[in-house]
Amino acid sequence: MMRLILISILSISLFASCTKRTEEEPSKATEAQKSQNAELVVGTDAAYAPFESETSDKSIVGFDIEILKAIGEKSGLKLRFVNTPWEGLFNQLESGDRDILISAITINDERKKVMDFSEPYFEAVQLIVVPLSSKISKFSELKGKKIGVQTGTTGDEVASGLLGKTSDDIKRFEGTPLALQELSARGVDAVIADNGVINNFMANNKSDFKTISDPTFKKEFYGIAVKKGNTELIKKINEGLAAIKADGTYDSIFKKYFGDK
Amino acid sequence: MFAWFRTDIIVEYWPLFLQGLQTTVLLTLIGVCVGTVLGLLLGLGKIAQVEHGPWRWPVTLLIRLPSQIYITFVRGTPLFVQILLIHFAVVPLLIHPENGLLISGETAQYLKREHGAFISGALALSLNAAAYIAEIFRAGIQSVDRGQFEAARSLGLSYFHTMKSVIIPQASRRMLPPLGNEAITLLKDSSLVSAIGLAELAYAARTAAGTYARYWEPYLFISFIYLLITLAMSYGVHRLERKYQNT
Repeated sequence: MMRLILISILSISLFASCTKRTEEEPSKATEAQKSQNAELVVGTDAAYAPFESETSDKSIVGFDIEILKAIGEKSGLKLRFVNTPWEGLFNQLESGDRDILISAITINDERKKVMDFSEPYFEAVQLIVVPLSSKISKFSELKGKKIGVQTGTTGDEVASGLLGKTSDDIKRFEGTPLALQELSARGVDAVIADNGVINNFMANNKSDFKTISDPTFKKEFYGIAVKKGNTELIKKINEGLAAIKADGTYDSIFKKYFGDK
Repeated sequence: MFAWFRTDIIVEYWPLFLQGLQTTVLLTLIGVCVGTVLGLLLGLGKIAQVEHGPWRWPVTLLIRLPSQIYITFVRGTPLFVQILLIHFAVVPLLIHPENGLLISGETAQYLKREHGAFISGALALSLNAAAYIAEIFRAGIQSVDRGQFEAARSLGLSYFHTMKSVIIPQASRRMLPPLGNEAITLLKDSSLVSAIGLAELAYAARTAAGTYARYWEPYLFISFIYLLITLAMSYGVHRLERKYQNT
C-alpha cells in the first residue's frame, strides 16, 4: 500500500514537472525573440583593480566595467559580467563561453590572430615597482635579478625579452596582486606590470615602494575583444565607444579612476 | 593523427619542463621524508598517555593536545590555503630582510630571492604530509594488538624501546600501502605550489599555456609525466609490500 502511494506521488510530481517545463519553454523562446539581442556574457578577470575587481557583495566594478556598461547603453547591448580567471580567459572566448572580453587586455599582433579587438580605449605603459631602498634605476639593471610578473601578461613578455622565456629569474603568478605581495615579502626584486594597476597599488603603499618608468617600454593600448570574425558586435562596440568619448562620459569615468589626465 | 599537437611548444619550453620535473620530484621527496619523521612524532604524540602519576597532565596538555589540534587543523583545511598562508604570511614573518623574526638582513634577502618559494612550498607540503602520516602511524600502531604492548612492558622494556622494537616494526608493514598512497597524493598535490611562483611542472605548463593560449599541449604533456611517476611509485610500493610479505 505504502509503495503504491509513493509511486503515485512520484508519478504525479514527475508529470507535473513535465507539464510545467513544456509550458515554460515557448514563453522563453518568444521572450528571446522579443529582445533582438540576447544577453551577452562578458569575461573579465576581476582581480585587477582599478580596472576590474570584485566587491564584497560579489558585484564586479572598475574602470573597464563602467566603460563597457556605458558602451552597452549607447549601443543597446545587454551585458552580464562574469569573473573569469585570466589564464583561461582567451580560451573561453574561443569556445563561445564568453561573448566579449574586457580585462585590461593589451592589443598585440599575437592576440589579433585569435580574436578581434575594438578601437583602443586606454593607453597603458609598463611600470617597474621596486622597494624604496632598491638601487635599481632602470629596466636593463634587472638582469640577474628576480622579477615578479603575472603569467601571460605584457609584463611577462617584457621580462621574458630581457631574461629569456624559460629563465628561472622570472617568477610568474596567477595575478598581479600576488606578484606584488611577493615583492613585499622580498621574494622578488621587482615587479613589472601595467601602470594602471601599479598606480593603484602605489596609492595604497607609497611609503614602501617606488616606481620606475623606462623609456624603452612601448606604449600599449587596451582593447575590448570579441571572437574572431564577429564584425557586427565589434562595430556596435566601436560605435558605442566613439559615442561615450564624444559626449564626455568616457572622460568622467576616466577622471573618477585616474584623476585628471 | 596528432598534427594538431604542437610539439614545438613543448620543445621551446623544454628547459622549464625539465627544471619543473626536478622541482616536483624534489618537493615530493622532501615532503615524504620530513613528513614521515614529523608524522611519526605527531602520531605518537596524539596517542601519548600516562595513566597515573605526576606526568599525567603535562603529557596530556603539552604533547597529546597540541598534536591533536595540529592534526585536526591541517586535515581540516585545504592544502592550497595552507600554501598561501605559509608563503605570504608565515614565512615573511620569519624571514624578511627588514624585520624577519627568525632571519633578517642579507641572509634573509638571499634566502627569499633565491629559494623563497621553494622553502615555503617544501615547508607547506611537509607540514601537510606530517598530519596525514601521523594518522597513518596512529592507525598502524593501534592496529597492533594491545597484548603486544603489555607483554613488552611487563618484560621490563621502556615505552620507547617497546615502540621502537616491538610495535612500530609490526605496524610498519600495515602502514606501507597508506604511506604509498600519501606519497602519490603528495606528488599530485605539489602542483598547487605553482600558485606561489615556484617553477614546478604545473608552473611550466601554465607558463607555456599563458604565452600561446594553447592548453592541450602543455597540460596533456605534464599529465603524462605525473602519470608516469605515480605509476612508478605504485609499482615500487607494491614491490616493497611483496618483499615484506615474504619475510
